[in-house]
Amino acid sequence: MSCGQPHDKDCAEVLENLFLFLDREMGDASYAEIKHHLDECAPCLAKYNLEQVVKSLVARSCVEPAPPSLRERVLLEIRSVHVEITDTRTDPGFGR
Amino acid sequence: MLCTLPAREEAVGADPGDPTRVGWSAMTTDPAAESPQERAERFERDALPYLDQLYGAALRMTRNPQDAEDLVQEAFAKAFAAFHQFKPGTNLKAWLYRILTNTFINSYRKKQREPQQQMTDEVEDWQLARAETHTSSGLKSAEAEALERLPDSDVKDALQQLPEDFRMAVYLADVEGFAYKEIAEIMETPVGTVMSRLHRGRRMLRDLLSDYARDRGMAAAGARDKSGDGS
Repeated sequence: MSCGQPHDKDCAEVLENLFLFLDREMGDASYAEIKHHLDECAPCLAKYNLEQVVKSLVARSCVEPAPPSLRERVLLEIRSVHVEITDTRTDPGFGR
Repeated sequence: MLCTLPAREEAVGADPGDPTRVGWSAMTTDPAAESPQERAERFERDALPYLDQLYGAALRMTRNPQDAEDLVQEAFAKAFAAFHQFKPGTNLKAWLYRILTNTFINSYRKKQREPQQQMTDEVEDWQLARAETHTSSGLKSAEAEALERLPDSDVKDALQQLPEDFRMAVYLADVEGFAYKEIAEIMETPVGTVMSRLHRGRRMLRDLLSDYARDRGMAAAGARDKSGDGS
């Protein structure tokens, strides 16, 4: 689990906060501490790299453009609602 | 009216000496003062560019393209109807995702309930413990490389197998890059729950992907053996 070398920050503590580090959900000071630990601890770095790969795999694999027909349907809906509103506003009697 | 003031001041503050700029920003950031046509144009300009992203998320939620299209259309209709309530200058993307998530929960989740989705937050600790010991010793950078070579279809397939709440937390964090706080708002859950869902979701995903990589590795090795035997 650990590389056996002494670190300023314990391996267990680093691994516990790996996702916070990965997602940049920590302050600059904590971020720098963990980065420093990863620079000198190969086992923790390997674990971090793996999490990073999984995260980037998800990002890479899930980009799918909407079909053009969906864009048209949504646009049509916005524009038809707008026409209805305009019709109401220009109703005879309004503003006279 | 009051709620639009900060946005307006911010925009004005950028260049206080230019009156045309003041007029423009006041017109485009004050939902109370705009005409229906202006609102429709603003929606088309600001919200519609998120269509592809919302469709991607809807696909992960519904797991089928037709439902995803219907879900996105319904969510956009709701967003448009409520667009006057959206405060300009706040996070439009998160606002749209929240509407999408609510629409999914209210209209779709019920009709596509599956046994797998019942487990949501209730994964037993012993399962997690076993998953952790299973991977903590064996995964080396070679395994990370093997995962990187997996086709997109395997990754999507693995994601589909996660319980819904885990899947969405992972999706929102990894694909959309939302902060935990934003995910908490979108999923209407405390930040601690988001972290727990992310943690468990990623752990399950990593194990599934490792299994796929191993299967593919074995299949490749098997194919090589076969061709070797045949010659």
